Amino acid sequence: MTPAEQYAETEGGRSHRPLLTATGLHKNYGSVHAVRGVDFHLEANSYVTLLGPSGCGKTSILRMIGGFEDVSSGHLELNGDSLVNIPANQRPVNTVFQSYALFPHLSVEDNVAFGLAYKNLDRATINRKVASALTIMQMSEMAKRRPRQLSGGQEQRVALARAIVNEPKLLLLDEPLSALDRRMRKDMQIELKDLQRRLKMTFLHVTHDQEEAFALSDWLIVMNNGRIEQQGTPQEIYQCPATSYVADFIGGANRLPGRILESDNRLSTIETALGQFQASSVSGLTPDSGAVICWRPEQLHPARGGAIEVTVTHHVFRGAEWLIEAKAQDDTTLSFVVREDAVPEIGARIQLSFNPENAWIAADDSAEK
Amino acid sequence: MERSYLGTWLALPVVGAVTALCIAPLAILLVYSFFQVNFVFILKDPTLENYARLAASDTYRNLITKAFVSGGLVAAITAVIGHPIAYHIAKRVTHYKSALLILLLVPLYTGDLVRIFAWRVLLGAEGVLNSFLIWAGVITEPIGALLFSSLATHIVLTYNFLPFMVLGLWLAYESLDDRLVEAASDLGAGRVSSFLRITFPLTLPGLIAGGMMVFVMVVGDYLTPQLVGGVSGITIVSAINDLFGTAFDWPLGSAIAWTMLAILCLFFTLAALVISRSTWGRALMGGE
Repeated sequence: MTPAEQYAETEGGRSHRPLLTATGLHKNYGSVHAVRGVDFHLEANSYVTLLGPSGCGKTSILRMIGGFEDVSSGHLELNGDSLVNIPANQRPVNTVFQSYALFPHLSVEDNVAFGLAYKNLDRATINRKVASALTIMQMSEMAKRRPRQLSGGQEQRVALARAIVNEPKLLLLDEPLSALDRRMRKDMQIELKDLQRRLKMTFLHVTHDQEEAFALSDWLIVMNNGRIEQQGTPQEIYQCPATSYVADFIGGANRLPGRILESDNRLSTIETALGQFQASSVSGLTPDSGAVICWRPEQLHPARGGAIEVTVTHHVFRGAEWLIEAKAQDDTTLSFVVREDAVPEIGARIQLSFNPENAWIAADDSAEK
Repeated sequence: MERSYLGTWLALPVVGAVTALCIAPLAILLVYSFFQVNFVFILKDPTLENYARLAASDTYRNLITKAFVSGGLVAAITAVIGHPIAYHIAKRVTHYKSALLILLLVPLYTGDLVRIFAWRVLLGAEGVLNSFLIWAGVITEPIGALLFSSLATHIVLTYNFLPFMVLGLWLAYESLDDRLVEAASDLGAGRVSSFLRITFPLTLPGLIAGGMMVFVMVVGDYLTPQLVGGVSGITIVSAINDLFGTAFDWPLGSAIAWTMLAILCLFFTLAALVISRSTWGRALMGGE
């Protein structure tokens, strides 16, 4: 299939066929299983994040798609064509490496032009494409410099320019922001998202930073231990974590373990050390199975006669509001948010209540591990 | 300031040792190259006669050319063989890395003579290689040219100095970031293209370091040609040796030695210039 045909196909069949499909993807290094059977697909023109702690297998997935690691078993298809056995240099995929991997002996423009040498283009076209990629990344003035003369953020931009100049269908980004300072990371997040929208490419971004993942993603894949814990839009994952692991990793949630008393597909009752609670829940919970009830800090309110009695232990100033930490009778720490004029004193005993619609019961997977 | 003065004083013995052991003998040699020999006496009237004789002599000029051609040739051969070996040790081996490096160095501990004679056993008319070829029926008469020929000299020189090239390249490969090679293939480069555009330029400092060591040692080697080179075994260094020994013409010997030294320095300067002028050179050496 010629590139033109492939292009026509993606444009025409975009609504139905995913850009990339991974089926039963496995990767093991000797006896170590890095990826243990993973299924997902990437839609064209979307920003997808693989989120997980280090060692969860997310980078292995990226490297298998890039062609730097063999697939141990399972399938990878790009536009319906198998990627297995296709060498890295023949895949219509480009990578932005974690350490940028700029060629130190080449100038910025030669770095960016590197991949164009393999595309049968004349010199003028190459120059035009390089100039345009550098303009997009606002690096035109640095064209003659060498990588060692650039700051981290500038190196990052050159690495992006070097990848997007090839107009890949899929851009892989391996922890691209981890080497930048906090301020720069924020700016770059916005810029990355904007870039993806403008270029209409699919970005697959690997990160361990949940804040980054939420800021960027159209679709979020949370991984742990070589498996996908949950995938969905950032909103779904924030509001309805499927497992206690996800709730914990996404961060900020109050979690209280217990056992399911009864459950239909929407609403469950859970028995915990602090009493029985009813809340909306993940489907497929069975009575007497382990589960965990989660509340976002903003979903718990101090209220006279509330279901949970706590003692206030800490105040944290967060600008418009205060984050309060308190201990319940069984020593579980709960945090909740109050307005500035309603901050309780440390040591005060208060009651907390919540709306059952907003609380969430997820499966407790900690016992399996 | 006092500390830096102290440093200067502490450095003095080193400077003294370098001067006494390296520069002084060369200076004496230089002075001798302007003297002349009359029968058994050395006349200490400065003259350029020795350099003129050298320039007029086809024999010496050819020997000097031969020495440098051999140096370049052996450096090139060891580079071709050394690249895959160094790559393998640096990038493919994890558990046996030090074992392989020691294996590489072991021949150096056995001494030149032993190794050269070992090659005589291998290449001689009744040697292992000829015996094998006769046994296998490939040839009926032993190949005489295997030993006591220019070919034999270059085989043994390559063998002798290969470890130095491999060491230089190995260090360069160790510091080569694998991600760069991955990035090259990610951008569409095949193996050959990736080697030429990324690996080769980035390991070039190792190649130059190894190449210069091999080059200098081959140019200065005279044992190997003498022992396995047969009639081709006369080298410029053995000629210098003869001039200082049996011929008793120290001034001419000194003049040749200094000419060799000057040419070597010229090579090094040129190499340094090429590296510092080229863009990749500046990028690699950090001279920008």
